[in-house]
This record gives sequence, C-alpha cells and structure tokens, in this order.
Amino acid sequence: MIALRGLTKTFTTPAGAFPALRGIDLDIAAGDFVAIVGRSGSGKSTLLNLVAGIDRPSAGSVSVGGTPVHDLHRDRLAAWRGRAVGIVFQFFQLLPTLTVAENVMLPMDFSGRFAPAERRRRALELLARVEVPEQADKLPAELSGGQQQRVAIARALANDPPLILADEPTGNLDSATSGDVFRLFGELARGGKTVVIVTHEREAVSGAARTVTLADGRIAS
Amino acid sequence: MWRDLLERRGRSLLVVIAMAAGIFQIAAMLYKYALLQPELTTMYGRTHPASATITLDRVSDALIDSVRRLPGVAVAEARPVIVARARVGDEWVPAVLYVVRDFDDQRIDTFAPEAGDWPPGEGEVLLERSALRVAKVVVGDRLRVRTTGGEETTLRVAGTAYAAGMAPAWMEHSVPGFVGWRSSLRGTETAQIRIVAEHPLDEGFIREVADSTRAMLERQGHTVGRIDVPNPGRHPHADQMEAFLFLLLSFGILSFTLSAVLVASMIHGLMSEQLRQVGVMKAIGARDGQIAGIYLGQVGILAAAALVLGIPPGLIAGGAYARFAAGILNADVSHAPFPLWVVPVVVVAGFAVPLLFALGPVHRAAGVTVQRALHDDPVAPRARRGPERFAWLSRPLRWSLRTTFARRGRLALTVGTLAMGGAAFISALNVSSAWTRAVDADFARRRYDLTVTLAERWPTATLDAALAAVPGVERAEYWPGASPYLIGVNGVASQPVSLVGPTPGSTLLDPRVVAGRWLRSDDTEGAVINGAVVNRNPGLALGDTVRVRLRGRTVGFPIVGVVKELAPMPVVYAASSAVLAATGQSGDESRVIRVVTRAHDDAGQRSAAREIEQAFDERGIEVTGVHRMLDQRQGILDHLVIILTLLTVASLVVVFVGGIGLAGTLTLNVIQRTREIGILGAIGATPGTIARQIWIEALVIGVLSWVAALILAAPISYALEAACGRIFFKAPLDFHLSPGAAGIWFALVVVLASLSSFFPARRAARLTVREAMSHT
Repeated sequence: MIALRGLTKTFTTPAGAFPALRGIDLDIAAGDFVAIVGRSGSGKSTLLNLVAGIDRPSAGSVSVGGTPVHDLHRDRLAAWRGRAVGIVFQFFQLLPTLTVAENVMLPMDFSGRFAPAERRRRALELLARVEVPEQADKLPAELSGGQQQRVAIARALANDPPLILADEPTGNLDSATSGDVFRLFGELARGGKTVVIVTHEREAVSGAARTVTLADGRIAS
Repeated sequence: MWRDLLERRGRSLLVVIAMAAGIFQIAAMLYKYALLQPELTTMYGRTHPASATITLDRVSDALIDSVRRLPGVAVAEARPVIVARARVGDEWVPAVLYVVRDFDDQRIDTFAPEAGDWPPGEGEVLLERSALRVAKVVVGDRLRVRTTGGEETTLRVAGTAYAAGMAPAWMEHSVPGFVGWRSSLRGTETAQIRIVAEHPLDEGFIREVADSTRAMLERQGHTVGRIDVPNPGRHPHADQMEAFLFLLLSFGILSFTLSAVLVASMIHGLMSEQLRQVGVMKAIGARDGQIAGIYLGQVGILAAAALVLGIPPGLIAGGAYARFAAGILNADVSHAPFPLWVVPVVVVAGFAVPLLFALGPVHRAAGVTVQRALHDDPVAPRARRGPERFAWLSRPLRWSLRTTFARRGRLALTVGTLAMGGAAFISALNVSSAWTRAVDADFARRRYDLTVTLAERWPTATLDAALAAVPGVERAEYWPGASPYLIGVNGVASQPVSLVGPTPGSTLLDPRVVAGRWLRSDDTEGAVINGAVVNRNPGLALGDTVRVRLRGRTVGFPIVGVVKELAPMPVVYAASSAVLAATGQSGDESRVIRVVTRAHDDAGQRSAAREIEQAFDERGIEVTGVHRMLDQRQGILDHLVIILTLLTVASLVVVFVGGIGLAGTLTLNVIQRTREIGILGAIGATPGTIARQIWIEALVIGVLSWVAALILAAPISYALEAACGRIFFKAPLDFHLSPGAAGIWFALVVVLASLSSFFPARRAARLTVREAMSHT
C-alpha cells in the first residue's frame, strides 16, 4: 500500500539546514493499523505530511497504492489526495462557517465522487458512524472537542479513501475521549482501511497492529 | 515590536503602501489647495484693476489730469484700445490691443514683462503670454492685423507680458496685446479712460464716481460712449476659479474620507490577526496596558513609514498639479511661498487617523482572554446568522461567502473604502457630464450656425443678394439689436446689455423658458429677459418693466418671460418692431446677420464663413467678425476645461488609491485565511478551485461596493452639480447621473477586484498544504 524509499526531508531554517527525515525506508501493507511514535521533533509529522502529499520530499520516493506521490503535479496531487487519502488533524480544522454536514460534504464536492443528490445522505451516514448524527446542522463551534474530532474523521471518510492519516488526532482531547477516537480508528482498520496515526501517547498505541518509532529523522525500531 | 513588524513584512508593507497612498492624496490635496487658493484670490487685486472704464471720443493728458482731480477718483490713466482682428492660419481671430502710455509706470490694470523685448517699438506688439497659443506665434514672429476700416498691418511680436487680471486668451478665443504710445497702429484706437475709485470695492460708490466723471466729461464737450464697471475686486474668471477651488476642496474632503477609511480598514485587518500573539503575551504576564502600548507603537511605526513614503510624492504631485492648473487659469504659483503648515498637518493626520482607528481593535485584543486568544483559530469568525445563509449556492462558494460575511466589520470597511472611491469617481464623471450636457442643451436651442457682424449697416436686399451667391448658406435672418445699458435698481445705467429683436416667428432660437412665455409673433412691446439680467437685478420679475438707456433715452419693456441661458451676458429679447422703434433703425438695413449653413459640422461652418467673407469682400461689404456657434460652444467648454480636468484627475487618483485599498484589503483577507485554504487543499481542493473561490469573493465585495457607491454618489453628485452651477452659471446644473460613469466604475471594480485577488489567490494556491496550515 505505502512504500517509502530513501525518504529525506531537509528544512531550511534561519539557523541553517535542519534534516527532519534522513533516508527512511518503510512499507505499510493495505489494512494495516500503524502508529508512528517518537519524541517531538523526531520527524513523525513530517513523515505523515510526505505520505499525504501535503509536503514534498527533498529526496527519495513516496508511493501510495502504486501512485508516485512525490512526482504528482500540484493539481493532480490535490485531486488524488481528495480521492485516496483522508486526513485528520490535531486541531480538527473544520471550516467554522460551514455546518457539520457541509464540512463532511465538502470533500465530495471537490472530488465530484458522489452524485450531488447523494452527498447529504452519505454525510449523515458517516456522522452516524462516528456517533454524532444529531449534530449535522450545527456549526462546529457549537460542538465539543471530541465531537469535532469525530466530525473530522467523518470528513476524512467522505470519499471512502483506502488510506486514513491522522496527525496527533487526540492531542487536544481528554483521555476518555482519546480512547473513543482510537477505538474508532481501530474499527476503520478492521473495516479494511489502512490507518496511519502519528502520536506520542504510548498507551494509545496498544490498539495498533504495528508501531514505528522515529528518532532524529531515522527509524529507531 | 520591530521584529514582529519585520517578520510580517509582507503584511506590514501592504499596510504601509495603502496608508502611504492615503497620505499621498492628503498631502497632494492640501499642498495644491495651499498653493492655488491664495494666488487665485489675490492675483487680481495685485494688478490694481480699474474700477471703471469710460469710452469717449478723444483723450488728452490735460483731460486725464482733470479726471484725477475729481472727488472719489484715486487714479486715472488713459489706455486707448484698438479692436482688431489677427490673422491665424486662414482665419481672422478677434484681437484687442491696448495702447500703453508708459510701460514702466503703469498704475491701473498692470502687467509685467515675461519674455522678449520691453517695451515694444513702433512696429511691434507685446502679446499677453496666454495669447501665443491662440495667435500661433512665438516671440520674434510677425502677426498680421486688420483694424476697423479694413486696413492691414504686420507687427513684430516683440515679447510677452503677463497680465494676471485678464481672462486667459485661449479661453476667450481672442488675442490680447499691448502696443506703445508711438505705435504704427495709432489713429485706429478707441479712446478710453480707466479710473480706480477711492473705495475700489464699493460698487455703488464706483457708479457714482463714474457718473460724475461722465458729467464732467460731457461738460467739457466730450461724447461719452459706454461706461463699464466690472464686478469690483473680481477677476473676470472669478466664478470659474471659485467653482474650481470649491471642487478642489470637495474632492479633497472626499479623498480624505477615502484615505481615512482605507487606513482604518488596513489597521483593523492588521490588528485582528494579532490576537494569538496577544494571548501568548498575556500568558507570560503582559498587562493590558503594555499590550495596547506595543500595538499602538507598531501602528505608530507603520504610520511613520507611510508618512515618509507618502509625503514627498504627494508634495511633488500637488505642486505639479498646482502649476498645471495655474497655467490653465493664467495664474502663477512659481513664486508662491511654500505653505509651511501643510507638512505638520499631514503628519498629525497621518498619525492621528491610524492610531484612532487602531484604538478599537487594540482595546478588544488587549481585553481578550488568554484562553480565547490561544484558541485554535482566534481570528476565525463566529458565524452569527443561521447556517441556512447562501444555502442555494455550491458549498465551496457558500464557505467563501459565509466567511466573507462573517467578518462583518472587516467587510464593511473594505466595501466602505471601495464605495467611497467609487462614489468620488462616479460623482466626478457625473458632474463633468452634467456640465457638458448643460452646454450642449443650451446650444441645441440656437439653431443658427454663424453670426456675421459688419462694420456698418447695409440694405438687407444687398446682403440677401450677396448671400444667395454663397453655396454653403441655407438662409439668413436679420435681427435688429443694440447694446444699451441696463438701468439698475439705483437708477444708474451702467451695465451693458444686449437688446435683440428676433424675427417674429423665427425658429432659430428656442430658449428654455423658466417663467412666463417666449416671444410670440403678435407681440409688439413685451420682452423676455435671460437669467443674467435677473441675477444683476434680483428684484426683476414677470410683469415688471425692464428699463434700458438707449441713445440718451430710457426705454421700458414689460417682462413677459424669463429664459435660462448659460451665457453670462445679460440679454433682453423683444419683438423686432419694438427694437426697431427703440433704436430708430430701419428694418430694411442690418449689420448683424444670423446665418444657417447647409452643413452644420465644423468643416461646413468654416467653409461657409470663408465664402461669406469672400463674397462680402468682393462687394465692398466690410466684415468685422464671423462667429461660429461651434466656436462659441467650444469657448464655453474651454472655460470649463480646468474644472473638467480637475474632475478627471480627482477620479484617476481615486481609482489609484481605491485600487491599492482593494488590493490591500483583499490580500489581507486571503492571508488571514491561509490556514483555511490549507485545509481545503488537504481535503482535495485543487489550486484552481481555491483561486476561483477567492476571485469570486473579490467580485462579490466589488459588486457590493459598486451598489453602495451608486447610492452614495447620487446625493454627492446632486450637491456638487447644484453648487457648481450656482457658482459658475448662477443657476444649478440640471441633476444628472451618468449611466456611463456607473458602467465605467463597474468595469473598473471588476478589473480591480480581479487583479487584486489574483496575486493573493495565486500565492495561497501555491503554498504547500503544510505551509498553509502552519501559517499563523
């Protein structure tokens, strides 16, 4: 599903070049539930961004489901991402002026994957799946953090992508809610999705099938 | 504080540029006003203008001495005048040459050497500097002059003089000049005495002095012709200059408002995105006052940068415009002292306006709680209205518009800035088009093409025969007329007025009647007066009698109508039989011909005029003037040039400043939403989709501002048009909203919105999603 070869990313900062990733080789099979862990600055978020095509590698290649992500043109990349990847962020990143249901429908609008008439029904289904169906017509600000993160997961599932990437999805949630969110990801993996989560919460990792530990831009274990 | 500004240097630069545009405008406006206003209001007085000009049969030094001794006369000077025509290309242009006793000892209506020789020799003439372009000559050239009687002389243009008290030659379409006491043209002049009264601004006093001068002259056996008493203390173009200064000030105030709104908008935008930093500072213990101090300090630094950037070009542009306007008005600002107060005023305004507008947002930011400030997206708007808004639009567009409308203060300022600019732009074009429409409407009511004036009266049968031989002439009418004096309320006859007797039933004149009625073919004694007569005699109304002094007699006409005309000259229209009776003329003779040409365009009028001069010349009929209506129309429009250019410049500056304002606010809008744009990218929006959203958003803002501008422009245009008309034509211009102006502004708004959203949109779309999302 995911094949990373010699993946390197160097950031240019005022203090000089900072190597965030140094030649990562990693394979993740379809349906895997992988937790990438490591200390702050170890390069785990960078790794996720490169897989999502949110950022570009300095060297090396990223292949997702056979697509050479590092090679795609900007427009193609956006279209591919909309179709093939669902992303969940630490700060939820819902659009504040759209309702919950509209937030979930937006990726479908961009990708044109489902017929316009079908989109709302599908959004409501997804919201039911993440257990917040009654919030559909509210604005994000009216929801709790946990509820917002559930909506964000529903949005990530909007186009039924084979790959779900989550960057510190529980970083902003209390531990009970965090547990719920991790369980949700576990269900998705069991349902056949490939799920890759970046986290530093050791206890949460227990649900994952596999753990990759990063340290100073390299795979430590 | 500095580092913060530098780190956000893109945004800081944007704010500084927008504010500098505002400063530029304020500095330019104040500077040009400060240069022009004192010059235009004092230039006339400095020439020691004559209080009265008395035309008589002859003048001698002894006579001048006795006039000087009269009580109430401060200064008296002989300045004979030669009314002639000058050859320009293949046409004759009116020329007025003043005979000057001593060029180095002028006491009345003074003028100064400008270029070339001073004083002119016998066969030479000194032209007023604005006459060069009318006569199409340069110093050293020769000028052919034809005096009354038909004699032609060639004069060398010895140099130029600057007569600040005269109307600029090119506006009058005549060639004013000065010749010496021994000029070869002597003998063709009309004797004139100019006097300055002891109370030169008291019109009643002047008229009394003029009257006693006339009595004295007549006692000494002289024949006194006309006595002209110009409006005391007022330049012949004072109305024009006042309208000009009024508009300069009006658009200055509009521009100032625009600049202030622009600055407010930028500061508001800048402050609202600093919230997170405020949270951080508070978290580490900063007090509200300290935070306010930091941000007001930042605004102060930006304001200072804008002042440094805006003042020099503002002064340069203002100075250039003042010189340009002075050139058109034949004024001179080159020696005007630098108005020292301008820079401090601009500096104070440049600091006060932004700081004032920053107080609100700074107060809000400083008062915000740490928790709210540090919240995920502190600038994210809270949607206030229900989520049903814009439900009929596609979701991406819905997002875009809801976001736009959620930041209401922001939106109001952006729309307000642009609407102010639009209103100023549209008003400028409206006023401009109202002027030209007024002129066009006025001339559409005069359906003849040429007015031919002859040296003496000729039998109309002879003239008819001569005109019949001219192919370009369709028909002609002979209206009796005279130039008597209007008898004012004080019973003194000293205002020249035209008395015209149109042929009964004539279709050549169809003036706009504002009271009563126009002349009928069966009228025998009634008269119609124009607005200029009423303006000089405000008591006159329908049913009254208008009295004129003609050939030593007083003739009265009952007023049956009042017409509105743009011409500033007072005119009394009466039945031709009544005019003939009053003047003692015969209806079978005439010296003024109104001609309808076959072709009414410029070329048609020109060739007919030439043919008529030639045909009359062959028959020994001396022509003293051929006035083309298109020239007269152009003449009036030329008087408006300064006003029209002012309006054009004002509108261009507004487009410039408004454009920068729109670009700035839209760019800030986009920058503030960079993170949201990143989210869109993360969930599959292509850069093209994102750029289109931003563009549509800019268009929506543009169209909103356009509507607001239209609404604002109506009362502004109404007030300006009414005021301008009152100052210039003594009657308000007809209210006119130009659809063209609204259309041009719409097109400009679309272009401005597209241009100013294109770059930020492209920038946002080009960011990688990671960059966009890490944006704070």
